[in-house]
Amino acid sequence: MQASELVQSYLVEPNTWDEMYKDTSVREQYKKAIEFLQRLSIDELNKKEELAKRLFMSQGITFTVYSSGEGIEKIFPFDIIPRIITASEWDFIEKGIKQRLRALNLFLKDIYSNQFIIKDGVIPAQMIYSCPHYLREMHNFPVPYDIYVHISGIDLIRDSDGSFYILEDNLRTPSGVSYMLENREITKRIFPDLLPKNNVRTVTEYPNILHRNLVSLSPRQIYNPTIVLLTPGIYNSAYFEHTTLARLMGVELVEGRDLVVDNHKVYMKTTAGLQQVDVIYRRVDDDYLDPLMFDPKSMLGVSGIMSAYRKGNVAIVNAVGNGVADDKAIYTFVPAMIRYYLNEEPILKNVPTYQLGKDDEREYVFKNIERMVIKKTNASGGYGMLMGNSATEKEIDEYKKEVLHNPREFIAQPIISLSSSPCYMNGKLQPRRVDLRPYALCGPGGIEIVPGGLTRVALKEGSLVVNSSQGGGSKDTWVLADQ
Amino acid sequence: MLSRVADSLYWMSRYMERADGILRMLKINYASSQDDIQEFSWKPVLRIFTALTDAEATALANDNRGVLQFMVTDKDNPNSVLNIVTQARENGRSVQDHITKEMWQCLNDFYHTIRQQKLVELLQQEDPITVLDTLIKLGLLYFGTTDVTMARGEGSAFINIGKFLERAIQSADILDIKFSDLNYELDKPADTTYWKYLLMSISGYELYLKTYRSGFGAKNVMEQIILNENFPRSVVYSINHLHHYFERLKNEKNISGFNHLNFMIGKVQSKIKFSTPDAIIHEGLHHFLVETKSSLFQIGNALNQNYFAHG
Repeated sequence: MQASELVQSYLVEPNTWDEMYKDTSVREQYKKAIEFLQRLSIDELNKKEELAKRLFMSQGITFTVYSSGEGIEKIFPFDIIPRIITASEWDFIEKGIKQRLRALNLFLKDIYSNQFIIKDGVIPAQMIYSCPHYLREMHNFPVPYDIYVHISGIDLIRDSDGSFYILEDNLRTPSGVSYMLENREITKRIFPDLLPKNNVRTVTEYPNILHRNLVSLSPRQIYNPTIVLLTPGIYNSAYFEHTTLARLMGVELVEGRDLVVDNHKVYMKTTAGLQQVDVIYRRVDDDYLDPLMFDPKSMLGVSGIMSAYRKGNVAIVNAVGNGVADDKAIYTFVPAMIRYYLNEEPILKNVPTYQLGKDDEREYVFKNIERMVIKKTNASGGYGMLMGNSATEKEIDEYKKEVLHNPREFIAQPIISLSSSPCYMNGKLQPRRVDLRPYALCGPGGIEIVPGGLTRVALKEGSLVVNSSQGGGSKDTWVLADQ
Repeated sequence: MLSRVADSLYWMSRYMERADGILRMLKINYASSQDDIQEFSWKPVLRIFTALTDAEATALANDNRGVLQFMVTDKDNPNSVLNIVTQARENGRSVQDHITKEMWQCLNDFYHTIRQQKLVELLQQEDPITVLDTLIKLGLLYFGTTDVTMARGEGSAFINIGKFLERAIQSADILDIKFSDLNYELDKPADTTYWKYLLMSISGYELYLKTYRSGFGAKNVMEQIILNENFPRSVVYSINHLHHYFERLKNEKNISGFNHLNFMIGKVQSKIKFSTPDAIIHEGLHHFLVETKSSLFQIGNALNQNYFAHG
């Protein structure tokens, strides 16, 4: 059987924006790639899928599932068909994210200093102070260059008319960028020559830009500052990403136990004694960062690191306390922030969001629960959410009880259908729902977004949940250059 | 370099060297078990490379496939090649940014291969030499890749220190246990094939033939394995290289630790370098080997204290 037949049997679900198909024809940006695929046989496609799996396995791009006392290595599911974004779509996304980040950064600076936005009545004080990620410890502490969000992974989705919406702002320790890089490497291997033929923009600059930004944050003005990446260790599910980034930037990968603070300076323990550390790109959450200031039981952090940070002897990336800005309840206020700080209209739209802390909105949501998704404001990874269209009555009742227990911790959004994108599954092309997470880097020179990102895909038929912890996979994401 | 990283590189390397030693030993001993030698027994191998009690070792000593399963793929044997390679890989995993990507892939491929259920079946039903050769080659790929790709910095020094320390201990161990079979009576005539297979298991057979034209003798075997500076698995060769790579760690910042270890390594190196077969026999081979091993263990401890202590 030839692959050409597969494309013809591709069925787009009704009321869904499909990335590849428009009505019955293939969109311009997909044409070359689809032509290429059609020349292959099913056998060849299966072989390519096998090769992709083997490459992930042998490079150790895996996570470990522990069951019955032994670790089993698994790869994150990867779909071989790329997701393609046109130059003009990208241009729009890029502008929108930059605008949003400028506002969010100003918000963090404001909220940890003068709090004009509260005083001017744009955001109620209660919203801020009830947020568990708001850290009083960060108050009146000037971070270098006023940058809080050095690295962000803002999630975007597309509604049935193709317009982009912001799903959530990840401003703490967003993960997945190594998959953006590795997926591209795999595509190079399984589809030789296809990338240059399609004029796909490169993503390989990411580690270089990040490294340059990290160097520029060094408190000591020296030629070769010490940059480290702080990881929770090999049992963390993103450990592979931490090693990849450390390797690509040529910086030291450290664990909490490798660092020590003396006289408000951070040092790492080396074979030649202590060496001062200037910049820490940490992949450890705020709560675990410093047992003296936050969770005293943390084994992952470094005692005294916050005092060194406050003294300005070490830079921490992302800044501590960013959680207040990507809280799902604060999310509702981001368009207002953009208007307030920048005096601009938001380019990228928010998904309408209901605060379950407000009685009237909660009532509305409960009445229309079959069209709603309810989420916890401080959870991530697709945990603790309720999809109103697929939950049983019992699940809904139980969830409602939980909501009423502490309504501030929940928000609801109408279920957005998410665009679909072709996936190669069981010898056929099938539409599956996708989102998009571009990675933006913010340094003293401004905001840069590497053209690409992580496309997460819900592998289950009809599913709208793309999180990897809930059975999601990923795709290589192509941003095409202007013709 | 981080102390933790140095520690992991050192152990990754020790474990890979150990896996290689075990696999070669198994291959040659299996071959010799097919050679119809009377009284062939796996006991010496089990004594060197496992923690089995004497009774357990005796029970297993004549069961070829049982020994191979236990030594290669047994999950509950902490010294099985499977577990040793897993340890090497876990150490490598935590220092991926300090070894080359190619090395990491070698470790990873080795690990995934040895965990295949198919391997257990092949080892039970097919020709074990084919299986062992596959594994030995995966190890060689790692050694070669390390040599070709790894930058010659501090990390490479710790990798080589681990490798040669492990090898020196292993060679001393092998000799000690093989000679204990003969009650350390070097004049006692032993079966020629006995020495032949011992030498083959550490790739020293051809060199022996070229060095000694007068056939097999315990004293010559001992001389080659301890004192031949050109034999890559000899004790003296391993210690010379250990010293060579250790000297690369010289650094103004840790001068006292360096001097302390340099003294210890120099001492055991001189002792062996300036020995002769007769002097060793005079001292007593067993005593000589026990002393040497004890010095090597002390070097390991001192490395731990002076370079890896990160508590």
